[in-house]
Amino acid sequence: MKPDFSPYVPRPATLVAKKELNELVTLFEFVQDSGKPLAHRPGQFIQVSVYGVGEAPFSVSSPPRTDHNNFELAVRRIGSVTNSLHALEIGAKIGIRGPYGSYFPMQKFVGQDFLFVAGGLGYIPIRSVLHYMLRHRDEFGEITLLVGTRNPEERIFTDQLAEISKRNDVEVLETVDVPDDKWTGNVGVITTLFSKIRINPETTSVATIGPPVMYKFVIQECSKLGIPQNRIYVSLERRMKCGLGKCGHCQINGLNCCLDGPVFCYTDIAGLGEAL
Amino acid sequence: MIAYTIYLPQIKGLLKHWANELNVYTPTRVDDGFYEFRPWNEQIEIAWDYDLCYTTLKRFILPPCEDIISFDMKRYTARPVIEAPKQLLFGVHPYDIKAINQLDQLMEMDSPDVNYQARRDNTLIFGLEPVHIADTAFWSSMDASSVDFGYDLYWTRISPGAFFVQVGSARGEEMLKADGHVEKSSVAQKEAARRVHLKVLARAGKQTLKYDWNKTPEMVNKFFNNQVFWRERSKTCLSCGSCVLVCPTCYCFEIQEEADDLLHKGRRYRQWDGCMLKGFAEIAGGHNFRDTAWERYRHRYMRKGKYIYDKLGELGCIGCGRCVKACTARIANPMKVYNEIWEAMKNET
Repeated sequence: MKPDFSPYVPRPATLVAKKELNELVTLFEFVQDSGKPLAHRPGQFIQVSVYGVGEAPFSVSSPPRTDHNNFELAVRRIGSVTNSLHALEIGAKIGIRGPYGSYFPMQKFVGQDFLFVAGGLGYIPIRSVLHYMLRHRDEFGEITLLVGTRNPEERIFTDQLAEISKRNDVEVLETVDVPDDKWTGNVGVITTLFSKIRINPETTSVATIGPPVMYKFVIQECSKLGIPQNRIYVSLERRMKCGLGKCGHCQINGLNCCLDGPVFCYTDIAGLGEAL
Repeated sequence: MIAYTIYLPQIKGLLKHWANELNVYTPTRVDDGFYEFRPWNEQIEIAWDYDLCYTTLKRFILPPCEDIISFDMKRYTARPVIEAPKQLLFGVHPYDIKAINQLDQLMEMDSPDVNYQARRDNTLIFGLEPVHIADTAFWSSMDASSVDFGYDLYWTRISPGAFFVQVGSARGEEMLKADGHVEKSSVAQKEAARRVHLKVLARAGKQTLKYDWNKTPEMVNKFFNNQVFWRERSKTCLSCGSCVLVCPTCYCFEIQEEADDLLHKGRRYRQWDGCMLKGFAEIAGGHNFRDTAWERYRHRYMRKGKYIYDKLGELGCIGCGRCVKACTARIANPMKVYNEIWEAMKNET
């Protein structure tokens, strides 16, 4: 091993665009200073450094692309690193490590129908898979997208969702837990949308990402529809610190979420007491 | 097997040679019944018959705090920081060698840890056959009373003035010959060393698991959902992290950083962390995946009893008994907990 190599050294990347998605969440577009593509797969995460502040893991929100090398992160302002990111101006630099972790097995989904269930910020990593499918629309069957948020103010990617809703090859259903005066759409937790969709359990795979409390209920609904466990995929949030399976923070029973996850097939975690 | 016999008067000369080349640490009595690995010098008396060194040897290879990168905040560049002083740990008991052997494998797998490996490469380990056993130790039942590898030399005191020294590596043999001629061991001396080992084994048999350690992984896994048991055992847990701090096989760490006062340059370092501490599994927004003391308590026994076994084929506990001493609530004894689980399961089947 070269003595000057360490997996802990981030690579520089530059902020090229920034767009506020709601009061707390902003979409950031970066490009690596090396000019190389990030070469991530849908569902993977990277470690982002703001020197002097710290390092934190974020799911990549953009799909892998071949036409340009930029990648996107959508970040909620909540801690020291995320607040520093929000303060960055165009042209500012960050450090990145990764991509790390498992990803959605896109090849397996080819020819399949697909159901997305995104709760809150879970839409951010879901988006990477969804937009990959939209870019290769012919390769996949029916696509159904369920999106839930706590309230209308917390909705993200509203413009893009509106656009996708207009397509006739994607069925989009949205709900909020708590409506405001202007909200005219569905009201209720995300599982209430399941009665409104029609899917073929024989040919449908599922990707679901959301707050920790959501998974159990979504998986119950999927099972009720008759979707087998081995076609349900989840992405789990844990405290990935090193990203290399060493530091222990992201352990789910004996698994390291940073190596074995964050994307899991439900059958691989169904028996683990700490997973869902 | 190559082995030499070293006589007590030869040792000081050897130590002087070694100390010229590298940092030498030896077991030293620091208080009544309290031993530590301390830097060796000519004034120090080596505690050949120590029972247990309180702090673990992982601190020499995975220091409590170590820099991993340095960064430049203006140019936004970073470079690795890999420090690896040359060092010799002289007098390491077999259970502690086993612990280091485990860390070697865990740090190698998946993505090799360059900082650990650099330090390990520059560390020589001279094992020492124990003669006294700590009252909290139970290593003889954890498959840790002898090791086949992981040492450069292995010393057994076969008489008040002589050591039988088994060679574990070419570098170890070279070190042994650093101060002139050394005598090859005889068959009788080898036999004497074997008897010393048997004698300590006989005495180590007092505190043990009541069953074959091999059964532990399946057993604790079946007990995972027994909340009553885990809640009851952890009732007085202070979540202080003492048990994981003194554990020779624990290696969890946290990564933090610090910038200079001009915000030009900084260092990112890692420092020991512990799964028994409350915030260990907490994520942004405050959700904690092991929010209660009993969940963290259970995780420790699962990790030692099953998760490490799944990776390495051996238990993550080597039975040194340091945690038993460190725990102020007196609840961190793996032998006791595993025995209790065994007792409970024994009646089930």
